[in-house]
Amino acid sequence: MKEPASENKPKIGVFSLTGCAGDQLMILNLEDTLIELLSKFEIKSFQEASSYSENIRLDIAFVEGSVSTEHDLEKLKEIRDKSSLLVAIGDCAVNGCVQAMRNSQTSIAERMLDVYGVEDNIYRALEPKGIGEYVRVDFEIPGCPVEKEEVFNTLISLLNGDPPLIPDYPVCVECKLNGYPCVIIEEGKPCLGPIITAGCDARCPSLGLDCVGCRGPIKGETNAKAELEALRKRGYPDKYIINRLRFFAGNFPDIRILGERKNSKGEK
Amino acid sequence: MVKTLKIDELTRVEGHGGITVIIEGEKVKDVKMNIFEGPRFFESIIKTVYYDKVPDIMRRICAICTASHSLASIRAIEHAFHIQVSDQTQILRDLLIHGEIIESHALHVFMLALPDYLGYPDALKMSSEHFEIVKAALELKKAGNMIHNIISGREIHGMNERVGGFSKIPNERKLEIIKEEMLNVKKTAELSVELLARKEPPLNINSKNIFMALNPGGKYGFIGDEILISDGGKHHINDYLNIIHERTVNYSTAKISLYKNQPFTVGALARIILNKSKLEGSAKNMFKTYQALIREGNPLTNNIAQAIELVHSVERAVVLVDELLSRGVRDERLPVVNVKEARGVGAVEAPRGILYHDYTFDKYGCIVKCNVITPTAQNIASIERDYREAASSLINEDEDKIKFNLELISRAYDPCISCATHVIRLKN
Repeated sequence: MKEPASENKPKIGVFSLTGCAGDQLMILNLEDTLIELLSKFEIKSFQEASSYSENIRLDIAFVEGSVSTEHDLEKLKEIRDKSSLLVAIGDCAVNGCVQAMRNSQTSIAERMLDVYGVEDNIYRALEPKGIGEYVRVDFEIPGCPVEKEEVFNTLISLLNGDPPLIPDYPVCVECKLNGYPCVIIEEGKPCLGPIITAGCDARCPSLGLDCVGCRGPIKGETNAKAELEALRKRGYPDKYIINRLRFFAGNFPDIRILGERKNSKGEK
Repeated sequence: MVKTLKIDELTRVEGHGGITVIIEGEKVKDVKMNIFEGPRFFESIIKTVYYDKVPDIMRRICAICTASHSLASIRAIEHAFHIQVSDQTQILRDLLIHGEIIESHALHVFMLALPDYLGYPDALKMSSEHFEIVKAALELKKAGNMIHNIISGREIHGMNERVGGFSKIPNERKLEIIKEEMLNVKKTAELSVELLARKEPPLNINSKNIFMALNPGGKYGFIGDEILISDGGKHHINDYLNIIHERTVNYSTAKISLYKNQPFTVGALARIILNKSKLEGSAKNMFKTYQALIREGNPLTNNIAQAIELVHSVERAVVLVDELLSRGVRDERLPVVNVKEARGVGAVEAPRGILYHDYTFDKYGCIVKCNVITPTAQNIASIERDYREAASSLINEDEDKIKFNLELISRAYDPCISCATHVIRLKN
């Protein structure tokens, strides 16, 4: 492939809100292809990798991390305004990830008191949410962390002007294609595979483990009540199952209402 | 005249942080490391979670030291419920941590710190003139990730290491691949020491310092239950709260960790200083050759300490694989866990220093109380002390030079701000 002239390369930025920075790191983990891949783009901002940053209009912005503070929200709106395409990378940006697991259960004031010993919201913290709750998002790449092949394919698709392909079927499909024994049926483990977005090639069942749900529920297709019922039948207490469902889906409509506390104080 | 120097967003560090220095006349009046990474409240959200998936949540505090968090978490649970693990499990855990050290130090030494030594804004720009170095560095980092992949199931946020052992034991062929890869990248690890040793550190300061590291037992390593302090102190990790005092200071909203009212340092430099006699092989030889470059008072020499650890971890991984192969790898079932009302502390040397996880469980095995102290949180006081030291010694230089040097200090500590935030007050 001929190297495109610099002015024709898509201008991209990689930005990070509140999270563990693992999705940016996953991009850096594309060791074999990283240098060549990134040379197809003009990188205008990549905080974790570079002290070089330019504040100009972008063709594509990749955002990892959840909106967890007013500062995150201000930054997100700025990024949206200056970018033609906005891609959410990773479960934090898509669903809010583990820090959202207590949404609708405990207030920010209670969390502040637990960790910092004061109730005042001195960090201007918000209930953690994915970026789609606040701005228009063009594509979402799920995962905690994202699969690096998925990042690679997304970059190549966008380079060619195609939308990235993200699975809309559950982990069970990949688990069966691999011929792994079902950990629910064979071992009674509390697997979330039936409701979780595929794309990880069923990593947990491949190791004999139950899916913990890190790619988030399939949007529009998830029957959380049926999963709750299925695990109840296996003898798991509600509190256990609801915690499990909430790990990576505290903002997911069907799951948010499970274990919800009425009149939780201090929430907006 | 009062003048304020501000760096809004540190780059080439993990997470979001900044620096503020206030200079009055010829004196540095105040220094702050500002953390504005959003809080994630891990110690709060983990409450009521049954022990079995606690490590899966807690490891997500950090991407780059995910295995350290996972193992500290697992060990806290094992200590609470009195679970013994097999020798095979211990060796595999050691191997996993060496993988993490390789991956993390390779990223930091080559991609984040070396550009400062060679005068580039980042590794990508550095690669235009030093392509072979950057390529080799990526190979080395990949080798560390490969260990994660094979032992833990994924490069970041794996799942295979469990309370009591591993869900699936990697087969012998995969262990052999680790060994082959380690032998391939050994030269690159050694190159990292040589590259950093070629130049004096870009900044020379001399701070008075106290160091802390875990006692790894007989071999230089990263898991242990005893804290060693450079003033000669030795304490069991269960007593960590008696040694490390967190306090709020009036000039900043950051909670600062102190030891006997003094800043202290954890991380590669602390480990090398406290455990150097346990280095072996090429790492030992390189330490002997370059030990004059490792200065207790200059945090920038943490970079070369990391490079020596890179060499050690690459060599040690080979030894551990050989040990596993000579014993013969065997499948093991995870032990049955009898939960009870209990408390447990687990500690691991993460790439950046000692990491503590401390859990209290109810009689059903669910978390009622959780405390985590990360290495970066412990280092903040030292970082600020060194900002002060550097800004004072450069007070007549122009602003850009001072700022550049403050960034150098930040990066030398290799701060992991995502890790630190659940215990650190943010800037207003």
